[in-house]
Amino acid sequence: MIQLSEETRSGWRVVSVSGRADSEAADALEAALRSAVKTNARVAADFATLDYISSAGLRAVLEAARAAQTRGSEFAVCGLSAPVRKVFEMSGLHHVLRIHGELPC
Amino acid sequence: MLEEVVLLAVDETSGGLRSTREFGTAYALVGAVFFDLALARKIDTGTEAIHIVDRSPTGSATLDRVLAAMDQRGDLTTVRQWIDEIFHRRDDLEGEALSSLIRLGLLRHEKSKRLWIIDVERFPLVDNRPQRDVRLRLAEAILSDTIPATRDIMLVSIAEPCGLLGYVLSEKQLAARRERIQMLCNLETISRKVAGAINALDATLHQGIPRMM
Repeated sequence: MIQLSEETRSGWRVVSVSGRADSEAADALEAALRSAVKTNARVAADFATLDYISSAGLRAVLEAARAAQTRGSEFAVCGLSAPVRKVFEMSGLHHVLRIHGELPC
Repeated sequence: MLEEVVLLAVDETSGGLRSTREFGTAYALVGAVFFDLALARKIDTGTEAIHIVDRSPTGSATLDRVLAAMDQRGDLTTVRQWIDEIFHRRDDLEGEALSSLIRLGLLRHEKSKRLWIIDVERFPLVDNRPQRDVRLRLAEAILSDTIPATRDIMLVSIAEPCGLLGYVLSEKQLAARRERIQMLCNLETISRKVAGAINALDATLHQGIPRMM
């Protein structure tokens, strides 16, 4: 199960993601992030309470980052827990994503 | 993606299926099946295990056959094990992908004899635009610095270990973008694992094949 919530802080649209970002949740995650990117110039995905991310979840984040790049929006990923950070680092996603320890806002 | 791999391997002048290394196209087809199943959300993977998440049909006879076969093999839990298993069932993959491209009107099937005895099959392109499109997508993914579509990342990560990128860009271009290619091959969990499993399978097969010289 995944829980998604959104709020605006200091000019950033923050999409908070909790639970498990797996194949079951990937469509909802991608839709939420893409929707935020579509209507906001700065989007942060807050993964502080994300417990797990699978290959399908990573693809959802990557597609959202791609959409942001196409639109010229800023897209950042923040607050990764240790296991989720490990997955991001193994994938080398830090080469194409801005990854922050804390929210940029 | 199976059809895209075959399109990459078809020689646009002779219609023959080419491969720059032993089993190169076979590895690519096995990887393509894997990626098609992942893109169809039938399989998913974490840092280690791979599992089936949806057993409903995909609409592709090839994918459904592989999915059903893997569903029977609950003992296989890693990408490497799956790749090994699919590789040993690979015989139909090339034929099915070729048949699909012939049905779509992109290739035609020609048979001839060499030296009056040896059967030679060729698959000339009827329409070279789809092949050109696949090559352009791969070239763009490698030469640009933007984030490619997931499908193109996956295609790069199959084409690289299987020796198919040489049909897309020159050696000089590939050498200049080596870092970018490695980054793309690592970027997606399944891509990374498939590329790693193909390299490991290749090493195992070549350990088992005695040198004839």
